[in-house]
Parts: sequence; structure tokens; C-alpha cells
Amino acid sequence: MKKLLTGLAVVGLFFTTPTFANDPAALSDVEIAHVAYTADVLDIRYAHLALAKSKNADIHKFAKTMIRDHEAINEQALALLEKLGASAKDNFLSQKLNQDGEALIAKFSALSGSEFDVAYAENELAYHKAVIDLVGNVFIPNIDNAEVKALFEEGLKIFIAHETHAEMMVKALK
Amino acid sequence: MGLKLKRRQVLVGAAAYAGALAIFQKPSLAEAPQVHEVRIKAFQFEPMHISVKQGDTIKWTNEDLAPHTATANEGGWDTGEIVKGDSRSIVATKGMEVDYFCAFHPHMKGTIEVA
Repeated sequence: MKKLLTGLAVVGLFFTTPTFANDPAALSDVEIAHVAYTADVLDIRYAHLALAKSKNADIHKFAKTMIRDHEAINEQALALLEKLGASAKDNFLSQKLNQDGEALIAKFSALSGSEFDVAYAENELAYHKAVIDLVGNVFIPNIDNAEVKALFEEGLKIFIAHETHAEMMVKALK
Repeated sequence: MGLKLKRRQVLVGAAAYAGALAIFQKPSLAEAPQVHEVRIKAFQFEPMHISVKQGDTIKWTNEDLAPHTATANEGGWDTGEIVKGDSRSIVATKGMEVDYFCAFHPHMKGTIEVA
């Protein structure tokens, strides 16, 4: 029995310890704010790339909406941080997002025509799905400050609307 | 006696004047243009459907962080960009387009019925 309990404790340790250093649920409010800001800036960069590369009118409309909405969120986030006298803090997740984003921009830059349009639209759909999952299931339940939480709840509504829009775009391109 | 008659005449005259006023005012009161408020909240037009009369004003107010528009499906009319906390209005006209959407988020839809 003692052996079994020790064994269970070790298994528990095995599953909790490795995630401790890189656990999105363990991020502080200012680190979560940094991740969100980074994710917004990346989506704005993808959108600028789409405006430069695509000739599809619907892609252009979508990309302009991404720039307009994500800039609105970031503007609000910066104003809130200033009000709270806080600064966003860089962390492992922001760094990973940036690395993945740079790789994706390099990949997209090599594409053209409908190949680019489909890749951009599908990535926007997948990206917003991932962000909705992260914000809704990990960030919002773990944010301490009520005003920061309210802003993320507002952001979540925007990401869900973007997901619907991206779905329409992917469908139209098929 | 003379005074009484005069008084009655005055009263009848006043009543006739009031009646005339009522005739002229009633229709104009019924047709006085109304303002219909539509809230834009959580990526929806609330209410999604409104009934208005020609000459009425439809006023959209954006409560979302994301900017929106109210734009006729075929582009016949457009409020232009409405940022958070701002409002834009249009006046309902005969034969105007009745189906509209948000040009920035095309899944947001609304309809207007013009009587």
C-alpha cells in the first residue's frame, strides 16, 4: 500500500513538475497581458502581409477588420495598464508566439495568388480557435484583476466574431 | 343678457378654435418623426428587426470595443464607421434598402420595415 501511494505521488509529480515552468495557467496578469498584446500584434502583421500580397477583395476586407479590431483592443489594453500603473511582462509564451509567428510570416511570404489566400484564411481560422481556447479556458479563469478580466472578456467576444468571419472566408475560398 | 351672450359666443368660439387645433394637431402628432434606437452589443444589432415610418430616424449606438457599421446589403446607404460609445443615424425613406449588415463583420445582420 505504501509502495502504491509512493508510486502515485511520483506519477503526480511527473505530470505537474514539467508543466510548472511553462504553464500558461501560472502566468501573472501582466504576463497574460504581454501574451495577448503579442498575439494581437502578430495578427496585425499577418493582416498587413495579406494586404500586400492578396488581390482578393474579401481577404482585404477581413485583413482590414483584423487591423482595426486588434488595434482597438491593444489601445484599450495599454490604457488600462497605464491606469493600473503596470507594465506588460515578457514570458515564455510570448516568446514562443513570436518564434512561431516569424516562421509563419517567412512561409507565407513565399506563397502567392490563391495559394496565399487559402493559407492565410485557414491560419486565421486556426489561430483564432487557439486564441479563444487559451483566453476562455486558461487566461480568464486565472486573471486576478477585475478590470483586466473584463477587458479579456470583451476581447473574447471579438475573437469569436473573427472566428465566424474566418470560417465564412475559408468556405468562400473553397 | 348681452354680456351672457357674448360670453357664450366667446366660449363657443374658443371651443371651435380648440377643435380646429385638434384637427390640425392630431394628424401631425401621429406623423411626428420618431427616433428608433438600435444598440450594437456583443456583435449583434439589438433589436435585429425594427418597424419604422418614412421620415423616422434610426440611430445606431456602438457599445462594443470593436468598431462597427450599419450598411445596406447593396450599398444604398451606410452609417460609416461607428467607434465605441459613438452613434450614427439615418432617416428612413420610401423604397430604401431594408436589409443591412456590418461591413466590418459581415455575419452581423439586421432588417428594417418601412411603413
